[in-house]
Amino acid sequence: MSDDLAIETHGLTKRFGERAAIDGIDLQVPRGCAFGFLGPNGAGKTTMIRTLLGLTHASAGSMRILGHPVPAERSVALRRVGAIVEEPRFHSHLSGRENLRIVAAVRGAETDARIAPALARVGLSERADHKVKSYSMGMRQRLGVARCLLADPLLLILDEPTNGLDPGGIQEFREMIRAMVEQEGRTVFLSSHLLDEVEKICDAAAIVDRGKVVTQGPIAEISRGGDARNELIVGVDDVELALRTLATNELVQEAQRSDDGLRVVLNGAPDTAAGVNTTLVRAGVGVARLEPVRHSLEQRFLEITSRLDEQAPDEVRA
Amino acid sequence: MTAIALRMTGADFLKLRKKRSTLIWALVLALLPVIVLFVVRAILHSSTPSEHPPAGGIDGFHTGLRLLGGLFFGPLVAILIGVEAGTTDASNGVFRDLVVTGRSRLALFATCVPAALLLCWTVITTGYALILLGTFAFASNLPTPSGSLILNSFGFLLLASGVLCAVAVGFASLTTSKPGAIIALIAWQIIASPLISSIKELGSARDFVLSQGLAHFSPLSVVMGRGDNISMSGGKALLVVVLWLVLFLGLGAWRTRTMDA
Repeated sequence: MSDDLAIETHGLTKRFGERAAIDGIDLQVPRGCAFGFLGPNGAGKTTMIRTLLGLTHASAGSMRILGHPVPAERSVALRRVGAIVEEPRFHSHLSGRENLRIVAAVRGAETDARIAPALARVGLSERADHKVKSYSMGMRQRLGVARCLLADPLLLILDEPTNGLDPGGIQEFREMIRAMVEQEGRTVFLSSHLLDEVEKICDAAAIVDRGKVVTQGPIAEISRGGDARNELIVGVDDVELALRTLATNELVQEAQRSDDGLRVVLNGAPDTAAGVNTTLVRAGVGVARLEPVRHSLEQRFLEITSRLDEQAPDEVRA
Repeated sequence: MTAIALRMTGADFLKLRKKRSTLIWALVLALLPVIVLFVVRAILHSSTPSEHPPAGGIDGFHTGLRLLGGLFFGPLVAILIGVEAGTTDASNGVFRDLVVTGRSRLALFATCVPAALLLCWTVITTGYALILLGTFAFASNLPTPSGSLILNSFGFLLLASGVLCAVAVGFASLTTSKPGAIIALIAWQIIASPLISSIKELGSARDFVLSQGLAHFSPLSVVMGRGDNISMSGGKALLVVVLWLVLFLGLGAWRTRTMDA
């Protein structure tokens, strides 16, 4: 158990009858990063968050939040945690400010002073005294974040936070999350089924499927998977000449024809691509394109989940 | 701890007093019957004074008290407010957002009881003030209630509405369904209780009807419907009231502590 971790679980399991919604999850979320909890719908993401926050009891396993064992020290652990579980809900007959006052009353007297700054931080100061029933979905999401900020959170737990936001709202939200991590040093644990969202916001992630964590680590490592090769797409005017030239080049491990020209696997680091370019040009090959192959999280995610489908074709998705 | 409890009670009171539909219905139930009572009696008296006595005085006071505290309109007010207090967080989906603050679930339950009582007693007191106004304004030459009767009656109203309101908070927290809790409590209070009280074959089992326990503390006979006032000792009446409170507040607290948020 390490205090450097914002969230740490061992063998965390939640069963509903015979069905395990989360099944023996071991998770380590480092402090001071945006961590994506990525999985398809029904993979167990929300159940994991609900279990972490004590909204439902774990069937087995142990967990620590900000270094405190939960549920033994739950009230201390959650004192500096802000969370949005599923969609943010409010008393719609009250104003945004009144809704925050209610949560501030529960959190403690020191929280009152954070209401106005929290509303300002999410850009809701002008609408704070309007009833929540007049708010758009995007405004409710922002009010949900303001409610989280009342805790002056070291850890923010956000469940599918961009659901219902328009593209402008999503962009704004991403920037806010990054600022919280980079400028304020907070940890953000973000569950999502949107690969692009996790890739753009998060530093590290865990992929969960059918209640199990399949892989976890920095986004770049997960995207590459076990394949750490540096690969180039090379567009040339003479493919045959290029292949003959590269066949004997020490910078190149492997070169083969592809739909977009050549696929070249390098022996060294990505910066050796310049050497490949020089070699081809000196040999009289016109190079129109030289682009590193980018391993996307989406590609890796689909690889993992399709492999699981092959392994357990009859298994009903949790 | 006390300061936090006061702040949380204040927050719960804010939720309730801003719930316009509940507040308006509670005020209508507490005030309208009293207004209708005195207006109708005043019209009857002015049209045929020989047959109808003045609207106020001790008789008007007694009738008004039966309306408000007589286990009918007052209880409806208490049930409406108590059920709203017991279900408002869950029905609005914000219970989980309060739970994730780390605050104990029992504290979340406990602070909504005094908030509900505060609003319930405010409404009941307004209704009682109206009864007193009618009693004295339309008394004419009739005797008026004494100071002690006024105080005792007020105390009874607060006790009866408060106990029922607290029971409603517990029951509503147990069921977490606002419509279900309202229907069940009104059916119990308005239909089942008088009916059970009227079945003499049930013997002393009838003593455990809440209305009978509460009626013991009324300075005037206030039990409505077919049920008679069942005589019982003060200790037994107190025991009945305490049992109801312990049972339903206990069940509400248990449910709040254990349910998935």
